[in-house]
Amino acid sequence: MRWRRVFGRSRIDRERAEELQAHLDLATEYYVARGLTPAEAARRARLRLGNPRAKREEFDEMTRVPLLDALWRDLRFALRVLRRAPVFTTTAILTLAVVIGANAAVFSLADHILLRPLPYPHPDQLAVVEGNISGGGALYENDSVNGRMWEAVRDHLSSADAGLSSGEMGSGVNIVVGGTAAFVQQLRVSAGFFHALGVLPRIGREFTRDEDRPGGPAVVILSDRLWREDFHGAPDILGQSVLLRGEPYQVVGVMPPGFRSPRVDADVWTPLRPTTTGEGAGTNYGLFIRRHDDATWPQVNADLDALATPALFDGVGRIPDGGRAWLSARPMQDDLVQDERAPIVALVGAVVLVLLIACVNLAALLLARGSSRTKEIATRLALGASRRAVVGQLFVESLVLAAAGGALGVFIGRGLLEGLQSMGGALFSDWTFAAFDGRVLAATVALTFVTSLVFGLIPALLVSRVDIGHAMAVDGSRVVAGGGMRHGVRRGLVVAEVALSVVLLVSAGLLIRTVVNLRSVDAGYDPHGVIAASVSLEDARYSDPATVIRLFDSTVDRIRRTPGVESAAVSLGLPYTRLLNIGGVRFDDEGNGHIVNCSYVTPDFARTLRIPVSRGRGLRESDRADASPVVLVNETFARLYSKDRDVIGRRIQLGRTAREIVGVIGDVQQAGSGFLIDGMTEGPIKTTPTVYLPAAQASTLFSTHIWFRPYWVVRAHSTSVATRAILEAIGSVDSLLPVADVQPMGDVEAGAIRQQRLLMTVVGVLATAALLLAAIGLYGLLSHLVTERTREIGVRLALGATTGQAMRSVVWSGLGLAALGLVVGGLLSVPAARLVQSFLWGVAAHDLRTYVATGAFLLLVAAAASLMPALRILRFDPAKILRA
Amino acid sequence: MLVLRTLERGAMHGFGIALSIEARSGDKLLVEQGSLYPALYRLEDRGWIASEWGRSETNRRARYYRLTTAGRRQLAAETVRWTTLVDAVARVMRPADDEA
Repeated sequence: MRWRRVFGRSRIDRERAEELQAHLDLATEYYVARGLTPAEAARRARLRLGNPRAKREEFDEMTRVPLLDALWRDLRFALRVLRRAPVFTTTAILTLAVVIGANAAVFSLADHILLRPLPYPHPDQLAVVEGNISGGGALYENDSVNGRMWEAVRDHLSSADAGLSSGEMGSGVNIVVGGTAAFVQQLRVSAGFFHALGVLPRIGREFTRDEDRPGGPAVVILSDRLWREDFHGAPDILGQSVLLRGEPYQVVGVMPPGFRSPRVDADVWTPLRPTTTGEGAGTNYGLFIRRHDDATWPQVNADLDALATPALFDGVGRIPDGGRAWLSARPMQDDLVQDERAPIVALVGAVVLVLLIACVNLAALLLARGSSRTKEIATRLALGASRRAVVGQLFVESLVLAAAGGALGVFIGRGLLEGLQSMGGALFSDWTFAAFDGRVLAATVALTFVTSLVFGLIPALLVSRVDIGHAMAVDGSRVVAGGGMRHGVRRGLVVAEVALSVVLLVSAGLLIRTVVNLRSVDAGYDPHGVIAASVSLEDARYSDPATVIRLFDSTVDRIRRTPGVESAAVSLGLPYTRLLNIGGVRFDDEGNGHIVNCSYVTPDFARTLRIPVSRGRGLRESDRADASPVVLVNETFARLYSKDRDVIGRRIQLGRTAREIVGVIGDVQQAGSGFLIDGMTEGPIKTTPTVYLPAAQASTLFSTHIWFRPYWVVRAHSTSVATRAILEAIGSVDSLLPVADVQPMGDVEAGAIRQQRLLMTVVGVLATAALLLAAIGLYGLLSHLVTERTREIGVRLALGATTGQAMRSVVWSGLGLAALGLVVGGLLSVPAARLVQSFLWGVAAHDLRTYVATGAFLLLVAAAASLMPALRILRFDPAKILRA
Repeated sequence: MLVLRTLERGAMHGFGIALSIEARSGDKLLVEQGSLYPALYRLEDRGWIASEWGRSETNRRARYYRLTTAGRRQLAAETVRWTTLVDAVARVMRPADDEA
């Protein structure tokens, strides 16, 4: 019945009108029959019926669903009111659209990465196994494992299935399909990996134990994408042979569409072939388990604990006296998002702050509007509107604003999400998979509603608090509705606005200083005019060291002979990237081993990058395999490991070879060394103790080509000459070796600090928006305070106060509020800065200079915002004000 | 209750109900006929009466109301309540000499 009232309204109305008419007709007929004239009868009938209009309304009241109708009425009224104030309405809607859009965009990232379960069946049963060592007050956690840990878990853990992969060390490899070479992402996985993950190939099968052992058959599983694009979805794909890493591999499976392995979005999966020596001696694998249905996590952890013998931790780290070493399970999602959580949380914090500032701003604007509507509201109250109805009406106006803003915000949010994805996609591949979907839409709607509550309710409550008698008796424009209370709230809003802005500006300031610091760091080399490019030598055709050295020699030679090229070299890794690290490196006259970064380079490396040779000599063409073994070290190595003696001429033991240190070259910045020792700074980039071997003498390092790739660096007159020279040289030596990552050295550098830059950009933009909003809001609030004090100021002026005094009182009250806001904001900034702390470099989270500079800047803005309204006082004419 | 009682004798249109109540109360209860309709709609809403369009004796289109089963039950209940009330009031209003 009810729904009919809502939807079938017009039909009911019509029926009732008809019935009333029928009544009149019947009554008229009745009176005519009683002998009255038709006119008299009709009059009598109408008289007896009563006022038809009033009756209609009475029916209407009955037939309506009261709340919905009040809402509808309020809605129409709100639209009318808002249409009459186009500037206010447009400003409010645009502000809301931008902040709601920003929130929606960031929410879709947060939802995708942090909230949504992993895209595998029963993701709560998945966990990553970590090796832990504790003791001496320190806890060392490592989510990578070695081959012995893997074997122990695989063979003895009965409460879960296990899978192993080369971890985050996915690598680019060469694949040849139909005569074309391509560079694709590979992940090496163990037998049982897909079974434990819960997603099996859609065609074919996963790897067997026999394939997953050293020397096993060469087999490969393809991604759906690769199968479709490069094999045109051939149904007879199984058993076909593809040339991968220079060897024929037999296809045994194709994964389902959209499947992504944890951490690495791979195109091909090959058997991991784990060992307990070589690669498997170190913690180079990622191990995960799927708990059996009938097992619990405490049980699994107890089982893991039981099988973790100290022998598993040999070479992982020293177990302190009284300390212990054990294995534990950490929820997989928790582990996978650990690097992404912090930036997302920081982004969420920033957009929520901007949203709050916008709310404060709008609340202030609504309050201001409310004062000018005092008379209207008083009239409505006097005419019998309940206070609830007035509050409802005012609130509906906010709701309409928020709804319009939210609707527009959906579009803006989609755009912003795309922007964020293109900015951060290279850094966080997960970001590119976030979508603006139903969940995000629902969250946006909820957010819109909450927003309207936040900014709309308090003004509505206050504005409706009108003393009717007073407001009606005196000219309404002169009465301040809500009186003192409203003043208090407005002051509170000023303080809140300043405080929230401080928080955002301090964080932005810290991030800006971080990026400035990172950029102004001495790179240690000259990146201008240098192009870098890389190939994967994880390739069967390059398993012989002689072939690798021939490749380096002939390509470098060819590039060097290209007109316009100044110099060229090959190196394992690059400045601003992560290098291989080797432990146990010691001087042959000293006992302790040291840990170093290690690279091999061809002779012209230092010359090409313009890294100065500060002592001794650089590498020479004559440092060949048959010459005596030599090595270069960098300044940091000399400073940290050979403090008291000249490092030149000393011999270090690297692996089985003793090498003479023949020269010291300048430090260059590297990313993530994988270790931290006294005297090094922690951060996204740093100088690490590094040794450079001549490539011709470094064949022992070629086995690391499964993790690290050699880079060609070329300095030429123009970058296009350099790029062409590299491509032509490598292409002519080996046409089946795809060249990857061709980029100017400047980009490599920028890539190393892109996380900081990304956050700085986003938080910076948000902080700018916040500052703008805060400035407008402060101006609006203070300007309104002056308007309301017009009469008071007029009286003061009339009583002999000078204009200067009056202005000072206005400006001071504004600045006082701003100062209070600064203090509150400063206090709030301390926990907020902790959110971005992990991204800071060269600046402390509590850096006083940033706080003071931010405070001074905001105070300046507040001064300007309060001075402008104060200037109006100059034009005050007390006589006019008092007479008005 | 008056309406229900009136309708007990059969379906009637609004004007008929008004006339009937006036006549049966000996013209003591003069219904403002307009107010009758809100009452009718309310009763219909509660499911005590039902209505449909029909033809009057003079062949005019009119909406006819009739008592539903629920309405009949309601009328019985209300009649009991009413008589009880009248009884009680009557007892209170009786001259004081009864008290002893």
